Amino acid sequence: MSEKEDKQDIDVQEVDGFRFHRGSALSIFESDRREDIVALILALLIALGIYLLV
Amino acid sequence: MVYTHKHPALFIMGLIFLAIGILAGSGALDGVIQSLHAQKYQGEMVWLGYILGIIGILVGIWHWWGSHEEGDLDYYLSTVAGAIFIMLVAMIIRWFAAPAVAVWSKSLGPVMGAKYLHQVLGLNYVVLGILAGILIVNTIGVPKWAQNGVRLSRLGLKTGVILLGTLYSLAELQQLGKLSVVLIGVFVLGSVGLVLLFGRMRGLPNNMTGVLSAGMGVCGVSATVAAAPVVKARAIDIAYTIGTILLWGVGCMFLFPIIGNMLDLGHVQFGAWAGTGILNSAQVAGAALAYQPDGIETLKVAEIFNITRVLFLPIIVLWLAIWFVKREESAESVNIGQVVIQKFPLFVLGFILMFALSSTGVFAPAQHYKGKYFDNNIPESKLLTPEEVALLKSEMGKVQREDRKAALARLIENRKIMSREDDAVIRGLNNAKVLSKEANKLLKKAHKAVRHTAKKIKKFRQWITLLFAFGLTGLGMQITLASIKQAGGQPLVVGGIVGTLKAVLSLIVIVIFVHETI
Repeated sequence: MSEKEDKQDIDVQEVDGFRFHRGSALSIFESDRREDIVALILALLIALGIYLLV
Repeated sequence: MVYTHKHPALFIMGLIFLAIGILAGSGALDGVIQSLHAQKYQGEMVWLGYILGIIGILVGIWHWWGSHEEGDLDYYLSTVAGAIFIMLVAMIIRWFAAPAVAVWSKSLGPVMGAKYLHQVLGLNYVVLGILAGILIVNTIGVPKWAQNGVRLSRLGLKTGVILLGTLYSLAELQQLGKLSVVLIGVFVLGSVGLVLLFGRMRGLPNNMTGVLSAGMGVCGVSATVAAAPVVKARAIDIAYTIGTILLWGVGCMFLFPIIGNMLDLGHVQFGAWAGTGILNSAQVAGAALAYQPDGIETLKVAEIFNITRVLFLPIIVLWLAIWFVKREESAESVNIGQVVIQKFPLFVLGFILMFALSSTGVFAPAQHYKGKYFDNNIPESKLLTPEEVALLKSEMGKVQREDRKAALARLIENRKIMSREDDAVIRGLNNAKVLSKEANKLLKKAHKAVRHTAKKIKKFRQWITLLFAFGLTGLGMQITLASIKQAGGQPLVVGGIVGTLKAVLSLIVIVIFVHETI
């Protein structure tokens, strides 16, 4: 195992058999704020698309 | 850690979506679609089928045959399999399973006013999606290749909540009566406070108490979803809250009209009570229609009270954000300003931003509500013809109520409905079935001519329902039996106590203070 992989495994979490090292069991993002920002960008893109195309 | 699994599943799901798109577009599914009365989904099957099909096939090829190394590309692209898996389950339910349940339910006939069993029980694609997710995770389990993508469900819900803001406008909310704002305000804030208090007394976890308070205080799925990230709610907390609201609503739908009749409540009184005491919008409408099957006055009042709740959503979210930080960090010296800046969920600001944009009239005329608006500047072709006017004139004598007589007279004189108020009265007259079938058809025609649906808002609604279907089906996939056992029955008890208190107290207040009649 490389040093990098070894280091990463320290943060690996396991919930109901699912293993992950970033985010939480509910989100792929490292923080709620980052998830909010991505949601905001997505929503604005959808709104812009609807405004321009519909 | 490498997240992508070398597996053909994504490629196969892509093929399935593409096949649905091609078959729905070519008309090969017409028979199935017609038998399910699912024509409104046909367009969606085509465009969504093609888009998800192509994404699934292209990324699926990379999943199956590509070489994957640890890093951002692997991390983010691995989520596509889970996302498409959720969408496949959610869309099979939305396009086929939910319409099949509706067809079966309609074959049983109405059970509550004009409502059918699936409407009473709230068995729509949202609830069925959560149930399907729970069934999958507790039987076959979420496949390993889909697990990373299932964590995208909350992102879908947040995006949906932001877009929800486009359905409302300030102009519409300004028309709400002061009474509804005060009454709803007292009971919304009171219910939230009571759930927070009882939750603490009964030892519920803070995230469950927080999300339950929003659900019981404001209403339904949207408030639950909006409050969930603020209190870091787990999937089980959200599912329990939605379950409690729906179960509570089913009981209320049957009990409210019986109690209303026993107390001989007026239409305004009952509408105000149902709009305050029952939480789910469809169930509020069901109870109102059950109470007054021959008119829409009760329904209109109940709807107004129901709409008013949305005003309180940002306030509740802010309250819960501060409450949660205080409880979790048990810090006495919490700086509220700092909490608002650090913890206040940005997506709620997004909701307010969309609400503000919608209020400016950028997506639809500013006075719209959920994309529907009144406008009687209509072309000559949409006016009633002289023959149609003559038919309505000949039936004028059948109308007894003064407001209905006056609205009908104005319709006959102008060959179109002249105001929003007249529109509501004409709808009531149509619903009362006082006139002949032909005359009622004309009332419906006149109503349709002045009620418009904004295309942009219609599209927003479609996106919101897709995002909610995605988010809630994915959420169901995170609810294991172990987590249900862990949650126990306490949330239902707390929800039941607060719901009953709210219903009884609001009934007392309404009987004492509301005397307006129609």
